[in-house]
Amino acid sequence: MQSREEKVRKGEWEARIADLKYTLHLFRKNPLVMIGTIITLFFVALALLSNIIVDPNLAYASGYEGGMYRFDRKYMWSAGHIINWGPGISIYSGPEFFYLGTDGWGRDLLAMIILSIPVDLYNAVVIVSIAAVFGTLIGAIAGYVGGIFDEAILRITDIFFAFPGLVLALVFAAMFGRTMETLQLAIVLVWWPPYVRLIRGQILSEKEKPYVEALRALGASHIRILFRHVLLNSIFPILVQITMDLGGVILTFSALMFLGFSPSPSMPELGNLAADGYGHIFDAPWVMIFPGLVMLVISLAFNLVGDGLRDVLDPRLRR
Amino acid sequence: MCQFRIQGSSLKIYEYIIRRLILLFFVLFAVSALVFYLVRGFPTGIAPWAPYITSRMTPEQIDRVIKAHGFDRPIWEQFFYWLRDIFNGDWGLTGTWAQGRPANEVFFDHFPYTVELSIFGTILTVAIGVPLGIISAIKNNKFPDHLSRIIALAGYSTPSYWFGFMLQLVFFYYFSLWGLPYLPSSGAPDFIVPKITGLPIFDGLLAGNLGYVWDEFLHLILPAFSLSFISLGFLARIVRASLLEVLRQDYITMARSKGLSERVVIYRHALKNALIPAVTLTGIFFAALLGGAMITEFVFSWPGVGQQALRAVFQGDSNFLLVYSFVFAIVIVSANLVVDVLYAFIDPRIKY
Repeated sequence: MQSREEKVRKGEWEARIADLKYTLHLFRKNPLVMIGTIITLFFVALALLSNIIVDPNLAYASGYEGGMYRFDRKYMWSAGHIINWGPGISIYSGPEFFYLGTDGWGRDLLAMIILSIPVDLYNAVVIVSIAAVFGTLIGAIAGYVGGIFDEAILRITDIFFAFPGLVLALVFAAMFGRTMETLQLAIVLVWWPPYVRLIRGQILSEKEKPYVEALRALGASHIRILFRHVLLNSIFPILVQITMDLGGVILTFSALMFLGFSPSPSMPELGNLAADGYGHIFDAPWVMIFPGLVMLVISLAFNLVGDGLRDVLDPRLRR
Repeated sequence: MCQFRIQGSSLKIYEYIIRRLILLFFVLFAVSALVFYLVRGFPTGIAPWAPYITSRMTPEQIDRVIKAHGFDRPIWEQFFYWLRDIFNGDWGLTGTWAQGRPANEVFFDHFPYTVELSIFGTILTVAIGVPLGIISAIKNNKFPDHLSRIIALAGYSTPSYWFGFMLQLVFFYYFSLWGLPYLPSSGAPDFIVPKITGLPIFDGLLAGNLGYVWDEFLHLILPAFSLSFISLGFLARIVRASLLEVLRQDYITMARSKGLSERVVIYRHALKNALIPAVTLTGIFFAALLGGAMITEFVFSWPGVGQQALRAVFQGDSNFLLVYSFVFAIVIVSANLVVDVLYAFIDPRIKY
């Protein structure tokens, strides 16, 4: 014999599952979203398996000691050799075949790209999750509490919006050295304010709804109302933003690496690989083309999912 | 992006502007204090007094220079020394990367190039983005709509530096290989006309030197397109969404039931209201370009401030970075203000 409360709870869960099923159905109907999801899953799988597919020591090998490199950098770019280093052409009479050619250090470009994918994805996930959690919490509290606290938070985000991000990256690099964590911190500091604005707007309209008043009348605490009800009801735009930002952060992060903030020039990272090629864009274009193309595809996949998610979660289109 | 906190109140527009101007000063003060603390609080490359001293100075003279600008004081006191100096027009000197010239002079030498690039980038964005948005709203969920969606998504998924180099590779290198008329890959022609405003194309037109104007224009095409590609799809999506929203409203049904043609309904009645969000977006976009076209300027060796800032970053030149972030903050905050005020003029429903 179920109690009444249990029945209500069960009904609530059934409704939620039905809602989720409907969402998945809408999701499946949209071909672009499906393409985006498949590409994303493919790259995630590739990232997880990258160290099995490719020997990770390739990234740390040095051509001047040991036999890992067959060629010096100076041979690599010298005239007459360049054509031979192009994609798909075996460059010396060995068993190796470089599908995408080699990078500026003489390493197999395809292998380097595969090794860079986990680095980029990991950084994007770390940066976006910190920025999203931090921004959402602050924005939610600001929107719910209101008053002077809200005003102060808004002014702080104003400052961060008017702040040149590259200067921040530089100073962090000078302060803490050129490490991944430094760059992550610099990007997080630039990416959290939009979350504050987004969730604040949502909370402002959500907290005026009658159910909040009803909850108050029932004696729910403010913390419970905010985190169990209001925040959960206004979280969807944040989810869309997170998905889109994953693509954006990969681009920003690799752009910083491209501009020269990378911890080491030989590190496997897509922007770093592309940076290796820009001095030789006309004589060895593949070094730049392929890492950039992979970056475009990953970022596009995230944006496709985010774009579709926005349509699916848009209440005006739903009913 | 813009907040109308006091909706429906009787705040006059000039009161609102004054409020925002006070806010502008607050943000400027905070940003410059923050940047000052960041670039001067930690050793980065060039010591701030290094450009003031020469190898022939005695230690006493060097001490005097350091004392005069307060470089021996604690960091928060140095900030007020710096404020005093900039109110006297002394923004400090740059390092050897800019021949030790005054930082503000270096900045305003290069700023017109950035302004010109931003103007062209914005014009291209609006000229392609708005029509694309209108077409995809009219042909909703048909081919043009999907096309604009794909362009928008590709735009903000493309690494901008990579796209810039691809444009160079195709329109300069391959076009010249294939014997087609090709565009210059990078850089800008030397400033050979008399300097009036500093904007190369404008000054070239004033001097009547059409060859120079054409040359400058050719150099502008690729960087401007590279900039606009990122945002034109986004603008198109915004225009589409707001046009669809407007077309659902009663007064459009009314106009249609009067027997007006679809063309008149869209272009005379709907478009005016639908373009309001586009105005905001364009303003913000233009402001962001003025400060943030760094990567594109780097890729195309465009002699604007972004590229100089990048050089200053790697040289650790605090004086130039301070000028740069100061102007950047002014541009961003005042663009927000201008857009918000403009909004009220275009849309009489908005009250402050």
